Amino acid sequence: MAIPLAESIRIGLADILMRKVRSVVTVIGIVLGVMCIMVVLAIVNGMNKSTMAWMQERGGLNKIEVQANWNYDFSKGGDPSFTLKEIRFIESQIPEATAFNPTISKWNSTLTNGDKRFSGWVGGVMPDMTIVDEWDVDKGRFVKDIDVQNNSNVIVLGSEVAQDLFGNRNPIGNTITLDDTKLMVVGIMKYRYMKPQGGGAAFSENYLDYLNQRSFVPLSTMLSKINPGTKIANLDIRAANPAAAAVLRKKVENTVLNLKHGKRVFQVNSAKEQMESMKKNNMIFSVIFVLIAVISLLVGGIVIMNIMLAAIKERTREIGVRLAIGARGRDIFLQFLVQTVLITSMGGVLGILLGYGILGQVSKFLEINVVASVQMIWAALSVSVGVGLIFGVLPAVRASRLDPVIALREE
Amino acid sequence: MDIIRTHNLSKEYHMGKVKVHALIGIDICIKQGEFVAIMGPSGSGKSTLMHIIGCLDRPTEGEYYLDDVLVSAMPKSALATVRNHKIGFVFQSFNLLPHLNVLKNVELPLMYGGMNARKRNIRAREILEGVGLDDRLKHKPTELSGGQRQRVAIARAIVNNPSILLADEPTGNLDSQAGGDILQIFEDLHKAGNTVIMVTHDQAVADRADRIIRIMDGKIFDGNPLS
Repeated sequence: MAIPLAESIRIGLADILMRKVRSVVTVIGIVLGVMCIMVVLAIVNGMNKSTMAWMQERGGLNKIEVQANWNYDFSKGGDPSFTLKEIRFIESQIPEATAFNPTISKWNSTLTNGDKRFSGWVGGVMPDMTIVDEWDVDKGRFVKDIDVQNNSNVIVLGSEVAQDLFGNRNPIGNTITLDDTKLMVVGIMKYRYMKPQGGGAAFSENYLDYLNQRSFVPLSTMLSKINPGTKIANLDIRAANPAAAAVLRKKVENTVLNLKHGKRVFQVNSAKEQMESMKKNNMIFSVIFVLIAVISLLVGGIVIMNIMLAAIKERTREIGVRLAIGARGRDIFLQFLVQTVLITSMGGVLGILLGYGILGQVSKFLEINVVASVQMIWAALSVSVGVGLIFGVLPAVRASRLDPVIALREE
Repeated sequence: MDIIRTHNLSKEYHMGKVKVHALIGIDICIKQGEFVAIMGPSGSGKSTLMHIIGCLDRPTEGEYYLDDVLVSAMPKSALATVRNHKIGFVFQSFNLLPHLNVLKNVELPLMYGGMNARKRNIRAREILEGVGLDDRLKHKPTELSGGQRQRVAIARAIVNNPSILLADEPTGNLDSQAGGDILQIFEDLHKAGNTVIMVTHDQAVADRADRIIRIMDGKIFDGNPLS
């Protein structure tokens, strides 16, 4: 029958309170280590969350993008664009894709409504764009299959474009001019907003402003009437789910590679894989910093072990007295182990509190999102308890093995 | 009834390469309720004998029966329990824990015995009242006189109702007035039926005991060891 744990905790707390300065000095390493772990994990967590939010805004983890590979040496020949025929071929090869949207970009288009003008990007797209980008109209309708078949003169405006050209009037049903082509406004896209992170805040109030400045026409109308002779440079595909995205990406890549006679003029990216590689990068960053924090914890642990060993030397006679009046080796062991763990866990709690306190400052200073989670608090706490257990064992064993006769003789 | 019985008790130490025979073939019997003094010059082995009788140490050879239990063969952890239940120590230098108050010091053996906090508080108060210190419960040992400290130590030694009370030069650090008071307490405890064993080199102190066991060079050389 050992003395109850509660008794050891009471003894430990009393000892800690009695030796306040020593306890504080003992625990500084742990406080700093835990604080570092806390801050780093919160930053990485925040970075992951931001990346994820950005990916979501761009159509989620199902999205696969085919675009010109700028790492390719185009002097070897090859053209980073598709004809409509090639697009149809690719589409026929991947029936498992949920949605399929080739895009022709026309930069510096001028849209006019009477005396009002708006210059910006206009895309020739397919109806699937709303699925691929998870972005639909606010009013009216989007480009339909029938528009693509008939090369219809219709346009869907971004919210900012509509605002600039029509003010508060309803643009739907009105005709505007894109360069020389007259187009009827059939829809207005939903307003997009994302809070900028980090340095981005200096450039824009809204990360997604560029989307609000975009307008869309049927791909066929773009090819036949507005910008004849241009080719398709972008292709977005949506997989059924994020898990299928990697397989589908590989398939699309092979199809495109075959189509372009083995020349890597296009790169094929999946949002899921990009997300994972970003997470991996963040992970490397966090592993390095957590490693530094762990070293600080180890140093802190060694300091604690030293101080506990010294304390036990100093308290040898007390241990002898306790043994003489009936304490067993395991009572003494528990007393000192519990005391060490109490010190390190108090350090852990202090580290968490300090970490929490400086997180706000860190996030303000670096202009990034930091996200503290309950799991992190548990992690930090268990690490500090673990350090106490590991580095408390040796001193506690040494104390418990003292010979009572020799211990009592100690001055 | 013999509360202590030893047979051919020997203890050897190794001081570097030299073998030291601290005790050689000690046979003693002490009866329940006896007051015995163990005398001898320093280096005689009396401290070693006291440590073995007090279950702080084990003999190299021989047997030691405490309350008819062969304790010399017990493992260390079992000896701790024996110390807790059957032995009360009083030391020359009091050996109170300086950061605990009087009450907590006296509660300590009860805590290691597994008694709950409320019961041990009641029991410790009761014992401290018995040694006349019920007005000093919350004092730290450093706030007490030597005589008062030794009374706290006696209270701690008897709080568990031990079979034997072992005192090692209990008056050695006290003036004659305080020393006399402490010896009176031992005599009272003896009269109340307790077995008291006192190690001393002071003949006047030893003379108050029923019987004196003299030790020299690790052997009993005088007195009547088997009473």
